[in-house]
Amino acid sequence: MVTRIPPRTTRQPTRQRSRFRHFLASGAVATAMVAGSVIPLGPLLPAAPQAQAAPLTAPRTAPQAAPAAADGKKVLTVAVDQSIDSLSPFLAQTLVATSIFRLTNEFLTNYDPKDAHTIPGFATKWASSADKLTWTFTIRSDSKWSDGKPATAEDAAWTFNKMMTDPNAATANGNFTSNFKKVTAPDATKLVIELKKPQATMTALDVPIVPKHVWEKVDDFSKFNNDKKFPIVGNGPYVIEDFKVDQYIRLKPNKDFWRGAPKFDELVFRYYKDKDAAVAALQKGEVSFVSGLTPAQAAALGNADNIKVNNAPGRRFFALATNPGAKAKDGKSFGNGHKALLDQNVRKALFHAVDRKTIVEKVFQGNAVEGQGYIPPRFDSYFWEPSGSQTIDYDPAKAATLLDKAGYKKNSGGKRVGKDGKPLNFRILCHATDPNDKAVGKYLQEWWGELGIGLKVECLDNVSDPWLAGNYDLAFDGWSVNPDPDFVLSIHTCAALPATAEDTGATDNFICDKKFDDLYAKQAVEYDTAKRTDLVKQMQSRLYDTGYMNVMAYPNAVEAYRTDQIKSITTMPEAAGNLWGQDGYWSWWSAVPADGTGEASSDSGSSTGTIIGIGAAAVVVVALGIFFAIRRRSTAEDRE
Amino acid sequence: MTIDKTPPNPSESGDSSEASEASGSLTEMPGTPTDGTAPPQTTGAPAATAKAAAPSASSLMWARRRASVSRFWRQYRTHRAGLIGLAGLAVIALIALTSPLFIGGDVQSVTDAPGTALESPSGEFPLGTDQFGRSLLGLLIWGARISLVVGLLAAALSVAIGTLVGIVAGHFGGWFATVVMRITDWFLVMPALVLAIVLATVMSRSIWTVILAIGVTSWPTTARLVRAQTIAIESRPYIERARALGGGHGHVMTRHVLPNVMPLVLAQTTLGISTAILTEATLAFLGLGDPSVVSWGGMLQDAREAGAVSSGHWWYLAPPGIAIAVVALAFTLCGRAIEAVLNPKLGVSR
Repeated sequence: MVTRIPPRTTRQPTRQRSRFRHFLASGAVATAMVAGSVIPLGPLLPAAPQAQAAPLTAPRTAPQAAPAAADGKKVLTVAVDQSIDSLSPFLAQTLVATSIFRLTNEFLTNYDPKDAHTIPGFATKWASSADKLTWTFTIRSDSKWSDGKPATAEDAAWTFNKMMTDPNAATANGNFTSNFKKVTAPDATKLVIELKKPQATMTALDVPIVPKHVWEKVDDFSKFNNDKKFPIVGNGPYVIEDFKVDQYIRLKPNKDFWRGAPKFDELVFRYYKDKDAAVAALQKGEVSFVSGLTPAQAAALGNADNIKVNNAPGRRFFALATNPGAKAKDGKSFGNGHKALLDQNVRKALFHAVDRKTIVEKVFQGNAVEGQGYIPPRFDSYFWEPSGSQTIDYDPAKAATLLDKAGYKKNSGGKRVGKDGKPLNFRILCHATDPNDKAVGKYLQEWWGELGIGLKVECLDNVSDPWLAGNYDLAFDGWSVNPDPDFVLSIHTCAALPATAEDTGATDNFICDKKFDDLYAKQAVEYDTAKRTDLVKQMQSRLYDTGYMNVMAYPNAVEAYRTDQIKSITTMPEAAGNLWGQDGYWSWWSAVPADGTGEASSDSGSSTGTIIGIGAAAVVVVALGIFFAIRRRSTAEDRE
Repeated sequence: MTIDKTPPNPSESGDSSEASEASGSLTEMPGTPTDGTAPPQTTGAPAATAKAAAPSASSLMWARRRASVSRFWRQYRTHRAGLIGLAGLAVIALIALTSPLFIGGDVQSVTDAPGTALESPSGEFPLGTDQFGRSLLGLLIWGARISLVVGLLAAALSVAIGTLVGIVAGHFGGWFATVVMRITDWFLVMPALVLAIVLATVMSRSIWTVILAIGVTSWPTTARLVRAQTIAIESRPYIERARALGGGHGHVMTRHVLPNVMPLVLAQTTLGISTAILTEATLAFLGLGDPSVVSWGGMLQDAREAGAVSSGHWWYLAPPGIAIAVVALAFTLCGRAIEAVLNPKLGVSR
């Protein structure tokens, strides 16, 4: 699924997979500490001293470790774990990369941090013609590229034209320009876009505008990753100074930024491939900000001094998707999805047996909102929830009745069997590196086991392959939703299906429903906000009724920052909003450094406990090591 | 009988079975390690003994076995570390085997979890609870079963492969052995953990995958040891006599070489179990185990995913880690003692 992720709309796996790599790395190192000294495997032994040395030396050797370096620079350090796929805005799709483009390049429009309504960005004004087919943007004249050249409408026109003419440049954001007919820049402050048919996303064109004089020298957009020459020319609040794969990305503030320069002297995204290591670094004051905390980490950090935990409603949904019988546009079916799931009653029964409240309480430990419709309540204008008889609530008795009705009766062994006498057993595709998937999988196994349905939780590191091939019955699904819901709705239209069984489509879950498609087409050309909102709600209602997706929860964004390093920072939305992965550059642009250039010395009590635990473990390990060394030496002559 | 056959003749089924029948009554004692200490006598005059004392042969054999077991035990007893290890193993095995009686599979259930998430140790939950509110003590005991089963089976598989490769390579020699041993060397220099991770990644998640992944990556040491021992044994004169009497390849390998390498294999297995348990824990910790079963490595992985390290929830991390270390240590102590008793070269007690 990774390859199909548009900017800012990051589906879980992207993050997961990169996280997996650090899992291996850090896990192997940590385990080597224990295993290395005990397992008599030769190759492991050299790893042990390294592993033990790593935690001690890492902070010292890491570049720019202290928040306030010796020369008094105020450095804002953000812990990240997702690898950057590319620094070319035409290719990059990961959340880290697209968040960084927000900081380095202006977009035509931006979103207000208060309520995410569209506000001026690179463009100051915009208007559409009476026939809704021609849009005229007024480009600001006070924006300059970081190499001193003025940023004009010509740059924007070149960016869009490149994406329209070169398929390789349309990899990341092609969905915005596919409906463009012609883009011109009559003068430096005027950009004219002509459309083939009306497009409701015209004020939400999330495309980073690049400098024409730099990018026109690029030959092959499919290969150019923009990571050789630094600093990278941009016109956003920050400029990329340096980048080392999976180590750090360093940004300097753009002093000429038209909205005002950021207050910090440097912004560093430092890689911590292990969340616990990132949290430890936050406790020590080596990083200023960590996102994606587990409930236990959030609780522990909540008690620590100088650390503020920000627990905000998230923009993601976490859902259960059923395979509706994977199909290509040419009508050919493929994959091996379970036939029983084509019966709406069976799907409904499964969903009736899912206790979403328990999932929110137990798995997310309250750090989530119970799932209802498709779009999270954070986007309150588009948020929709089922009502009355439409609602699929937790009701195992009803689920059992529905299954009986569908012809799956319980046999003597308590298993549901179909008419062919075969017991009902499903598989669910889970991301091996996502603890939430695994945890919810455990609950589903027990809930559905009560119903007499078997469930095999298939946790894979790479879920994309079976997913794209349609080889799944159920799957854990999740997308981040943008202020404009067009994209997350588009992935459930027939148009998003793959052209043939071999192709890759933009589809999320192979859903193809005529009613949904009609509504989608209507909302895409509807410029009236109220009417469009209503259509979007109708689409969610329709999606809910088809019963292919069950949104279980909207996980919160749980993040923490050091108050002795960051005095203030803007969340989005301003009231109870998140900091990481915003629609805009607000958090890092607005961050104000704290006065005390505090070398944080306050270790929380919990880390003391950890140190004692690690110390005890180290003693055991060393003892075992010595023991084995003696043993090996004494038997040396017997070994070949 | 088979005297007219020439020595290096490959065994035909009739001959070898007849030969093994004759000598079998005395030498077929796999698992009875005494053979290793006194190999020459066992094959003295098989045919004569078997024919002359047919009724007493089996009683003789049993007497010999009893004697060798008691001798083994007498020597084993002198190794205090070995006794400690054995006692530890007995306790752990007892707990693991009887756990279904006093905790049962309910301990794994998340929907019926009795506690709240990540409680610290208390009277009700002596080791606290995990993120689902399940009792960690119950999970620890329940997890012992998986860890032990995987450890035993994987070690057995690994030693079986190693023994087979070692004996075959040692027995046949020549270019065949060269090829087989180079393959062994290749496995030996491959980082076993990396290979196991690759195997566990490409195959479906189950404990059988883990067993297989450990088994096929950890056999080369055994293979080398067994090959060396095989070569040493095959240079003894009684092997030549057996060949002269018509013993084929299969006969020599299974009736003469195998019983003599058994002590080594036994010691290797015991030592291998601790390796296998650790590797299982490592793989589970790296998220490559079967997520639907509770194992000690899996508990460590769960603890990490819950953020127990940075939150200071030591009661979640320490018990499974200590349990792994204790079991691995117990097996190693036993293996070391067995090795000291059975390996003639290590006759002096240390």
